[in-house]
Amino acid sequence: MNLSRWSIIPVVTALAAGLSAQNAKPQPLPKADSILDRYVQVTGGKGAYEKHKNQVLTGTIEFPAMGLKGKVTRYTAPPDKEYSIIELDAIGNIESGIYLGAAWEKSVLLGPRIKNPDERDQSIREARFNAPVDWKKVYPKVETLGTKDLDGDECYEVLLTPPNGKPVHQFFSKKTGLLVRTTMVAASQMGEVDVEVNVSEYKTFGGVRVPTVSRQRAGNQELRITVDDVRVNENLPDSRFEPPPDVSAMIRKAKASEEGRLP
Amino acid sequence: MRIGVRACQSKDVRGLRFLGASVVLALLAASPLPAQSPAREKQFNIDSFETVWTTIRDKHWDKNPGGLDWLATHAEFRPKIEAAATIDETRAVIREMLSRLHQTHFAIVASDIYDNVAAEGGEAWPGFEVRVLEGAVLVSSLSPETPGVNPGWEVLSVDGIDLRELVRKLHQNPGIQEAAIQRAVLVQMRGPTGKRRRFEFRTSAEESAPPVIREIALLPPRGNATTFGNLPTQYVWFESRKIGNTGYVAFNEFLDLVRVMGQFGSAVQSCGKCDGLIIDLRGNPGGIGGMAMGMAGWLVDRQNLRLGTMYMRGATLNFVINPRADAYLGPVAILVDGASASTSEIFAGGLKDIGRARVFGTRTAAAALPSVFMRLPNGDGFQYAIANYISQGGKALEGIGVTPDEEVKLSREGLLAGHDAVLDAAFEWIRQQRGK
Repeated sequence: MNLSRWSIIPVVTALAAGLSAQNAKPQPLPKADSILDRYVQVTGGKGAYEKHKNQVLTGTIEFPAMGLKGKVTRYTAPPDKEYSIIELDAIGNIESGIYLGAAWEKSVLLGPRIKNPDERDQSIREARFNAPVDWKKVYPKVETLGTKDLDGDECYEVLLTPPNGKPVHQFFSKKTGLLVRTTMVAASQMGEVDVEVNVSEYKTFGGVRVPTVSRQRAGNQELRITVDDVRVNENLPDSRFEPPPDVSAMIRKAKASEEGRLP
Repeated sequence: MRIGVRACQSKDVRGLRFLGASVVLALLAASPLPAQSPAREKQFNIDSFETVWTTIRDKHWDKNPGGLDWLATHAEFRPKIEAAATIDETRAVIREMLSRLHQTHFAIVASDIYDNVAAEGGEAWPGFEVRVLEGAVLVSSLSPETPGVNPGWEVLSVDGIDLRELVRKLHQNPGIQEAAIQRAVLVQMRGPTGKRRRFEFRTSAEESAPPVIREIALLPPRGNATTFGNLPTQYVWFESRKIGNTGYVAFNEFLDLVRVMGQFGSAVQSCGKCDGLIIDLRGNPGGIGGMAMGMAGWLVDRQNLRLGTMYMRGATLNFVINPRADAYLGPVAILVDGASASTSEIFAGGLKDIGRARVFGTRTAAAALPSVFMRLPNGDGFQYAIANYISQGGKALEGIGVTPDEEVKLSREGLLAGHDAVLDAAFEWIRQQRGK
């Protein structure tokens, strides 16, 4: 996202706020805690989330501008176990996950690699199982910044700050309590990227409502993920979360090196 | 050194000013559009113009693309597009607008070009590759299946088309670079498999030498047919072999990612004890930019090295090299010429800048803007650059290109004697490194 294009938004928002203040008393903003807790409530409630012991998400991933389309499968389990695979015929498989506290990735293009610390922290946050319920563990500091109209949907803007890494902005519909948009500066191997994720079309899987359409813009590239199914409480052995052998070897070697012993 | 078999899967550039390369110097992966009513066709053309203008407004890395007032540009060209009566006139207006940017990788690809070529199966080749040297089209390498032709022969004409005259006319336009001229020549030699073309050759450097005529049946396209997103089918070949104890790798495009990355990795791994590795990118117009990073990973063992940096809206992305466990760490020579473009330049320029490779040949095409390819409402293709790219040495490749460490030109005399001067220079350098 070009910052100079967006820098006008706070100004416009401030002007609009000034105008409305002449006519009506500004409503106090709800606390971020209550907005995040309401999200849990409207998507099924804490009890429904806590019944989930693992999750298998399947869907499609599409890069419309390039005409590329493929499959995505993501396995997650507490506390932050993850194994994901994106299958694109034109690019080959892209695998990623969390293993022994390390975030990793392997692709035909770049081979296996262990993600750098910024990427790792971000990946572990994103892999946090039932993160909406456990938001305090992921983001110790949260605050409501204001309201914003997103395509006619008045939203609360919440700033979530993790212990390490860049803060995340989330926008929740005033009307429904559902998450509508997330913006962040994401860490990647190639550098930081402005990311905007718009989610919609919530559907219920295992008693929890999940957005099934995610339109993401990273830099000036767009992708769309459509969730076809979310299965919960599957019989997932621990081996499901193990990376390919070459990645495992890299991680074990790196761990041994950190601990000052031979691999 | 004997000349190996190489071929360039060139693209049809009739009427196009494809000075750049990348994946998209290409034809459309389009099916023919159904016939439209004139009013509907006109609306498709107007919509296509708007798509092009809006895309550049939203995606160009510079808020004022090419330093232009883009809103004023719209105001100037919108009446012209409304007055355009045909799709050809529409293309002319859009191309005129794009030319104002003075940047490569902005192009309109007419859908009928693809349709025509597809109908003919036009990627078949005569079994020899050519290079344009000092205005003459010379055979530079051969397939074993092509009898009766030798390297160094000049191709005077194809089916009566005078190639010297074609090259002379193209050279008159300073905006048309070597890569485009090379492709324009190659287009004349292609066609459907089995089609017989009449080639007229001059077999020596003597102008007085009588021409030799060969009727040649075109061979099936070299390589594997592959697609990538909105791109049309491309034929991509990959060649690797050992010459003595030196590895030699050549491929015509950075495409067919899964197969080519696999073959490149295997070639490097099989060359662990080689005296050197030669990567021949002459005539390679580029392709998927990320493949430059991936291939470079097979040639370094240090973390945090970069080939360069890509500047786009909302992101500055470093072309980081991810070292492979079995990387080759011996001498690496990269061969380039004026038809090496885009990803070829990113790869060669970046490895040169970090001191990992020595580059041989002639200056590259200077067309290295990362770009993508989309379809327009009227069926045409639209290639647009999304980023500027600065090589790790701090220089833009766009408009400058990669200057080889050793400037070496092919010569007609050398080709006639069966030698490739650029390859010879790379071998000599590797031989010298062995002694160090």
